[in-house]
Amino acid sequence: MGAVFLYASYDKILNPQAFAEAVYNYQILPDFAVNAVALALPWIEMVAGLCLITGIWQPGAALVCALLMCVFTAALVFNQIRGLDVHCGCFSTEAVHGPAGIWTVIRDLFFLVLSAYLLVRTVFLPLKKTGI
Amino acid sequence: MKPRHTMTLTIRQTIGIIAVACILAVFTNLLRQDSIPFADDWSADSRFSDASGQSMVVGLTEASRMYAKGTAVFVDARPEEQYEQGHIKGAVSLPWQQVHERFMEAADHLETAETLICYCDGENCELSHDLALFLNEMGFEGARVLVNGWTVWQEAGLPTQNRDSDNEQIDSETN
Repeated sequence: MGAVFLYASYDKILNPQAFAEAVYNYQILPDFAVNAVALALPWIEMVAGLCLITGIWQPGAALVCALLMCVFTAALVFNQIRGLDVHCGCFSTEAVHGPAGIWTVIRDLFFLVLSAYLLVRTVFLPLKKTGI
Repeated sequence: MKPRHTMTLTIRQTIGIIAVACILAVFTNLLRQDSIPFADDWSADSRFSDASGQSMVVGLTEASRMYAKGTAVFVDARPEEQYEQGHIKGAVSLPWQQVHERFMEAADHLETAETLICYCDGENCELSHDLALFLNEMGFEGARVLVNGWTVWQEAGLPTQNRDSDNEQIDSETN
C-alpha cells in the first residue's frame, strides 16, 4: 500500500501543472482551492507512503491512506454518476462511459478495502495483543 | 495502551503527516523552477490561452458577427458522430481524436478563412482548445475558441445543420 502511494505521488509531484488540470477537471473543488490541493495532495501521499513502509507513525499513515481512498473513490463515483448528464465531447467524460471508468472505481475500491484493513490492523489489532 | 489514547495518537500522527506534507509541498513549490501559483485563475480566458498566455477565447457576439460577415470558418472538434447529429452551419469537421489523419482534408476548407473558430460542447471541453493550439502550430495563426460553442450557438438560435439538412442541401444543389 505504501508503494502504491509512493508510485501515485511521484508523477504528480513532478508535473504539478498537469495534476492541477486533472484536479480542475473533476469540477468538484472551487477554483481557488484547485492549485493548493494539487500541490499538497501528492506530498500527503508521499509522506503517508513513506510512513507505511518505514513503520514510523504507521497508525496515522493508515488513517491518512483510508481517508484519501475514501475521497478519491467518492470523487470518481460522483463524476461517474454526473458524467452521464454531461453532453461533452471531452475525452474524460467519454472515458467515464466506458469500461475504463468502471475499472478505475473497482481498483480504487480495492485499495480502499486494503487501506481499511491496514487501519484495523495497525490501530485496533495491537490493542488485542496488549489485551492478551 | 488504552483505546482512547490510541485514537488520539493516530489522529495526532495523521495531522502530523498532513502538516509535514504541506510544508514539503510549499517549500518544493517555492524552490522549483516550474512552480505553480498557490491559487490560480481557472477562468475560461486563462485556461484557453495560447503559448504566450494570450487568451484565445472569442465571445458569441463577436463569433456570430464574423459568421454573418463570412470572415470566419468554424471548426468542430467533436467526434464525427456528434458533428453529423448537428453542428454550426457550414462548420468543418476536424475531430480531435483523428486530427492527424483528417488534417490535410480539412486544411483545404480552412485556408480561405480570415479567422478560425474552434468549438466543442461543454464549459470544460478542452478539445476546441487543443485543436486551436494545433492549428496555430500548423500555421493557422490566430485560431480562436468559442467556449461551450455548440450549446451557446444553439441557445442563441443561430444557424445549424445536421446530417439530414446536409442531404437536403445536396439535393437542392443537384436540382
